Amino acid sequence: MSAALNAAAGSMTIRRRLLLILLAPLTLLLSLGIALDYAAGTAPIDAAFDQALANEALAIAAQLHPQTDGSIEFNLPAQAIEVLRADKDDAVYYLVLGPDGTFLGGDHGLPVVDDGKANPAFRTAQFGGHTIRAATYRVAAGAPGKVAVTVAETTRKRAHARRRMLTGIILSDIVQLAGILALVWLGVRMGLRPLLSLRAQIDKRSAQDLAPLDETGVPGEVQPLTHALNRLFATVRATSQGQLQFLANAAHQLRTPLAGLQTQMELLIQDPAAAQLRAPLKGMLDGSRRLGHTANQLLALARAEPTAAAAADFAEFDLRDLAEEVVAKQFDLALQRHIDLGVEASSARVNGSAWLLREVLANLVDNALTYTPADGRVTVRCGKTIAEPVQAFIEVEDDGPGIAPEQRARVVERFYRAPGTSGDGCGLGLAIVAEIARAHRAVLSIGSGAHDVGARVRVTFPAALE
Amino acid sequence: MRILIIEDDALVADGMRRGLSQSGFAVDHVASAELAEAALTQENFDLLLVDLGLPGADGFDLVRRLRRGGNSAPVLIVTARDALADRVSALDLGADDYLVKPFALPELAARCRALIRRSKSSSNSDLTIGPLRLDIARRETRVHARTVDLTRREWAILECLALHAGQVVAKDRLQQAISSWEDGITTNAVEVYISRLRGKLGDDVGIRTVRGLGYRLDESAA
Repeated sequence: MSAALNAAAGSMTIRRRLLLILLAPLTLLLSLGIALDYAAGTAPIDAAFDQALANEALAIAAQLHPQTDGSIEFNLPAQAIEVLRADKDDAVYYLVLGPDGTFLGGDHGLPVVDDGKANPAFRTAQFGGHTIRAATYRVAAGAPGKVAVTVAETTRKRAHARRRMLTGIILSDIVQLAGILALVWLGVRMGLRPLLSLRAQIDKRSAQDLAPLDETGVPGEVQPLTHALNRLFATVRATSQGQLQFLANAAHQLRTPLAGLQTQMELLIQDPAAAQLRAPLKGMLDGSRRLGHTANQLLALARAEPTAAAAADFAEFDLRDLAEEVVAKQFDLALQRHIDLGVEASSARVNGSAWLLREVLANLVDNALTYTPADGRVTVRCGKTIAEPVQAFIEVEDDGPGIAPEQRARVVERFYRAPGTSGDGCGLGLAIVAEIARAHRAVLSIGSGAHDVGARVRVTFPAALE
Repeated sequence: MRILIIEDDALVADGMRRGLSQSGFAVDHVASAELAEAALTQENFDLLLVDLGLPGADGFDLVRRLRRGGNSAPVLIVTARDALADRVSALDLGADDYLVKPFALPELAARCRALIRRSKSSSNSDLTIGPLRLDIARRETRVHARTVDLTRREWAILECLALHAGQVVAKDRLQQAISSWEDGITTNAVEVYISRLRGKLGDDVGIRTVRGLGYRLDESAA
């Protein structure tokens, strides 16, 4: 049984295991109890009935009158016989045999009990097609040898008494059994409550939640587990925060000199004294800006990776605010490129990192503005899906050249740039988007825009919050 | 217009100082929060450009102390940090805007002008956005030297846009600006007034449409 339990334990809850271990033997034990109670209860009943039988035999023996010639006179009045046989349940028989076995009176053929020791002696036997209980009392009646007085009765009364007793025992034992089972059930439930509340606590957490588990009320057996988990959470949190701190420092160390270089180059380009150097300076400024862009993208990608994203601040917010903010911010670039940048946003609340999702949208809009030719149209959309399950989404659609179906899987790879791509992108934009989508358990899908023109890149979240 | 730059990187500070001087600002520079506080006790500035990562007390400390001390000069944070937490806490502390390095000089100058304009709009009755001049007290509108006659609602919309020049103003907000006179103004009405304003102000005034969001008044229509 324990092997079977172990085999099934893989998917078995502790509660089921405990109940199984406790309930099966308990049921067996209680059944055994019923049998013992029954046996113990019937013995005194049988003894009492036997005693009554023996008394009757004794009463009959009183009617034996030894004669002076050695014979024995037995004369039971008809009235006494009637009293003897009067029983509303059972038939009563008797037989009196002389010392030499001579028939003195009663029912012929009634079995005589002879176990040689006990007096009176009892036995269950068959007589006239019925089961009977017989008692034989041997009395010395003057003459040598003993007279055997046997009284017997059918067993209906006894069976009836046993039945009633059995019913009583079974009923009371069943009530006991039910009570014990209920107590076991309740006890297991209550005993497991701290475990279940721990489970609920873990179930409720988002994947990004690295706060330690509340250990109050956690049973001692499970505490090593929660300690280990909390230690792990703390380690991940520390690693992740360290990673974020490193990235913040790296950003500072990269961007500050770039800012210095770029402003100085901008000033030189405007300086009449450096007029001859204007063309190479513009080239240098362009290169420096691309370098800045790549640095920003690498930092964003690093921050979106699981090690750093674990410490990102996840909170509930509306994608609509984000969409409007990003469109307002990128509007200058759209003006420069003569592209109609707009937003079609309806409210959609999600649980996520606003910073990371801003990167998603900024990258998607930036890509669309880069690859859509002048006089094109770029639209940022967000909202909830109409079809069940209701999911929040953000998407950016353009009417540019689009992304060929066979390229769609590859463009999310780092540094991959589709053949024939113009512009000065570094090939990290969609990789960042894919990484951040993954951190949010969101799905990134790349398709065509309306009427099969352009590109539409959508991020669909696992659920929309109310 | 006097600007104080608080920046510890010499190359960046020099570029900002020269770039903003060329845009017509009077610019001073200090390299630490402590020096900035000393300078602010001596003189008044119209705008502070604050780097967050300073030696000693950092940009957050500086802004917090200034605001606690009752200094209300607008603050533009110019920093290499761009994490959301930094952005939020800087704005919560009382900074007015946020620019991430590296930046282009024209954008820096435009942000400076916008912040100074916004801080002056309550005290100063003159607003200048590129070729557009608004006299708030007299409700007079000029483009270059030409005076333009506007209806009350056209003025209300233009004033709202001008007070937030360089920022996208939501259509709803413009609608609220004109709905005090009459109930049931639709957002379509805003479109009508914008189109009339464009006609009256001419092509040199840049009122941009941000589809699905609102409008933005720019210094330049180019």
